[in-house]
Amino acid sequence: MSSSRRSFLVAAGLASAGVAWPRGLRASPDHRLPAAERPPVTATSAAALISGSRLLADEALAGQALEIARKAGASYADVRLVLWQRDRVSVRDDHVSGVGASEEYGIGVRVLADGAWGFAATSTLDRKAIARIAQEAVAIARRNARLIRSPIELVATPAVQGAWVSPFEIDPFAVPLQEKAELLLAAARAAMTVPGIRHVSASALAVREEKLLLTSEGSRIHQVLFRVMPSFTATAVDRRRGRFASRDHEAPPMLAGWEHVRAAALVESAPTIAMEALQKLYAAPVEPGQKTVILAPSNLWLTIHESIGHSTELDRALGMEANFAGTSFIAPDQAGKLKIGGERINFFADRTQAGGLATTGWDDEAVPGQRWALVREGTLVGWQTTRELAGKIGEAESRGCLYADSYASVAFPRMPNVSLMPGPEGYTTEDLINATDDGILISGRGSWSIDQQRYNFQFGGQFFWEIKKGRLTRPLRDVAYQANTIDFWRSCDMLGGEGTYQLGGSFSDGKGEPSQSNAVSHGCPPARFVVNVLNTGGDK
Amino acid sequence: MTLTAKEAKTITQAALKAATLKEIEVRVEASRAGYLRFANNQAQTSGATERIEISVTASEGGRSATATGTARDAKGLAALVGRAEALARLSPVDPEQMPPLGPQRYVEGAARDPKVAALGADARAELAGKLMRPANKARLQAAGMVEHVDRASALANSAGLFAFYADTEVEVSMTCRTGDGTGSGWAGAIAGRAEGVDVEAVAARAAEKAELSRDPEAIAPGSYVVILEAAAAAELLSFLFSGMNQRAADEGRSFFARPGGGVRVGEALFHKSVTLRSDPGDRAHPSAIFGEGGLPQAATTWIEGGVVKALPCGRYWAQRQGGAPRPSPGSWLLAGSQAPLADLIRGVDRGVLVTRFWYNRLVEPRTLLATGLTRDGTFLVEGGKISRSIKNLRYNESPATLLKNVLALGTPERVALGGRVVVVPPMVVAGFNFASQSDAV
Repeated sequence: MSSSRRSFLVAAGLASAGVAWPRGLRASPDHRLPAAERPPVTATSAAALISGSRLLADEALAGQALEIARKAGASYADVRLVLWQRDRVSVRDDHVSGVGASEEYGIGVRVLADGAWGFAATSTLDRKAIARIAQEAVAIARRNARLIRSPIELVATPAVQGAWVSPFEIDPFAVPLQEKAELLLAAARAAMTVPGIRHVSASALAVREEKLLLTSEGSRIHQVLFRVMPSFTATAVDRRRGRFASRDHEAPPMLAGWEHVRAAALVESAPTIAMEALQKLYAAPVEPGQKTVILAPSNLWLTIHESIGHSTELDRALGMEANFAGTSFIAPDQAGKLKIGGERINFFADRTQAGGLATTGWDDEAVPGQRWALVREGTLVGWQTTRELAGKIGEAESRGCLYADSYASVAFPRMPNVSLMPGPEGYTTEDLINATDDGILISGRGSWSIDQQRYNFQFGGQFFWEIKKGRLTRPLRDVAYQANTIDFWRSCDMLGGEGTYQLGGSFSDGKGEPSQSNAVSHGCPPARFVVNVLNTGGDK
Repeated sequence: MTLTAKEAKTITQAALKAATLKEIEVRVEASRAGYLRFANNQAQTSGATERIEISVTASEGGRSATATGTARDAKGLAALVGRAEALARLSPVDPEQMPPLGPQRYVEGAARDPKVAALGADARAELAGKLMRPANKARLQAAGMVEHVDRASALANSAGLFAFYADTEVEVSMTCRTGDGTGSGWAGAIAGRAEGVDVEAVAARAAEKAELSRDPEAIAPGSYVVILEAAAAAELLSFLFSGMNQRAADEGRSFFARPGGGVRVGEALFHKSVTLRSDPGDRAHPSAIFGEGGLPQAATTWIEGGVVKALPCGRYWAQRQGGAPRPSPGSWLLAGSQAPLADLIRGVDRGVLVTRFWYNRLVEPRTLLATGLTRDGTFLVEGGKISRSIKNLRYNESPATLLKNVLALGTPERVALGGRVVVVPPMVVAGFNFASQSDAV
């Protein structure tokens, strides 16, 4: 049974409790990997999280804020009650170095008045504070309307009453601290037994996001999302030569419960990670030059994020991020025309993907999570939009890409999960290696950098294998690859099959001023490219 | 005021009173902030926020945990303390947990400007209007932001320590782009006091740079003399600042570790004109007066005449090594000269002028090698003059090499960089490595 089918069961339970299910999540398209291995949270427990929520006690205040904003002259308003909880346990070498449990709770009011945006937020939840921020949001919009050339307009979206809980098996906030600490300490011990390993850092972060959205159009949406991120790094130090090297675990963060941290098998993988840190320390330096590389999903996801994910954000293409995140090499009128890659290149944006960090029931302006094509057979066909952006390219509906990272942040265009579809041939990673005469296999996330229009990028990795005559021959060090987005995707000549598809992701995709941080995932198979390989070691 | 010392004390006292474990530290961060973004020459998102965050660290016998929340009433604080204590009791022993410090003496902080604290929607709109004016006149696309914050932080503990610091900050920045999409110019300013930001100058500079950067020509990547404006220099130097850590150096995993053992404190690693200080009481650029656990921030010279003098060192590591702790500072002040940027340009026969860098990432912690790209105003300088606009370039370079190869330093100015007070000069540097070209404008 696919995990999207399991999500549907949760939905069915909620639906019977009188709440709707976002329409996008009913579908069961392919590539919703990875699948969970055990049954997910039961419909009853998901419904209990919604019906027992402490946010409900403040719903009346949120309703008042909406009313005050409307009376003050807002043509549209939305109010979000948002609670973020973050539990973190950190280990340094042989001991626990940090135990933290944080909560952030408050209310944010966003309004349109006289064709301009206004927003105000507070962590004080009483009538006085609510009235103050609702009026302030409208006052800001009215004042800014004098700086507006073309009034902001929103495309329509149906009013929705709904609730959604992201699928999970084990509530990470219910896992005892001792169990979390012991898992990390055991992994650290396993790595520290490898001679030459001098340091380990490990942590487990669990995040729970809960939000109740009310809009002036009559939508009411209540959602609870669980995300987890295991981290593990082993460092080898050679004092005599003055060298050191670190190796990170490649387990991605996921929209999931504690079961995902367990499945990451930190303890079992720790000795291998430690050995590879040591191998990196004594690996041969890479010869720079034009080379064939096979990028594992644990590396390629971030290259997708930077080169395709950000360049297909419509707000960037329209110049709205010009002062900070940048614009795009793609112009708004190039959908259906621009060739980004060869026939085998297909990218989907997907807010319904199981495990995807940006998967959701609805966005922060009541638009359902959905799946749509961005690039089909190499040609750009779609954009990431919001209710403000959709009309600017003549679309009647938003793609549901509007989010905020806190009660105190205004919702604005943020990236959905953007994924590269596997190839039809069903190749394995071994098939790609065997077909490569001279190249490098790159896995894991290293440093990453791309220009503000998403042409020129340079990425590192965690581990690098030399490939000669179809075989992995020896580890290499100091490898980075540089390319231009279109050259890179056009050079892709082999993709792994469905069985090789994996999700990678990040909790901290930065964008906007003041800067906000978004969680997003990218799925892909391993793939083969031609790039410019650099030696970043500064020696041979 | 967002939070007075008296209000902060009320909060910390209530939390301390609710505690049952022996060692308690309470931190309060409160802020009132506002911003206005504009793009395509009109207002975009804009908002005002009130935030408070209270953290309680409870410890006993090395078992320690921190709980953080937003409720400031007695009931909420008691619940917060209860959460921290319950977690601490379950937590494995951290042998590095330090006992709370007793009362400390701090320098006088005078970093809060009531004029910045009073900024509101009208002032933001007025500033944004002024920023867009030259661009509107010149038919340039303008995008940018106005941001201000009034904030306070307090720290108190069960050993009787109480520390309080309040400051303000106002920041503006903008990017102008030419209608043909070939030119882009950026300028920005940040200050603690309202009069520290010259909005008209920022607006004029961004517009002028956009015009000047039209139709860039490609130059070959390679080694160049560069003139880095202060914002660009700071972006790259941030990797040096964050690499300055005594413990990592002692452990052999830092640029500041000496091959064969020991640390490079005392070595002349940089050009003799390089002097890096921190000073919480600096008159022009005051910064946080307390750091880790309430440790007082003190005037400190980290690099003097190119010689590394000291590295920041946490409380645990200082005790273990038998030295004094030096908290991670609230400011980085890199000395310069009186020379304006124009003089630096005049002194260069052939080089590249960089307005700012973008997407900078550390590549190799051993050498501090970083990568990133030029952006929004990159020019060729020939015979002491800007001769033409050039296409953007990716660099692969280390801030350590940058400070080794300094040819000239200009007048230090404050730049926006990661929450600290950072004041650096524009600089002329030899042998700067550009690795590849970018078509980005």
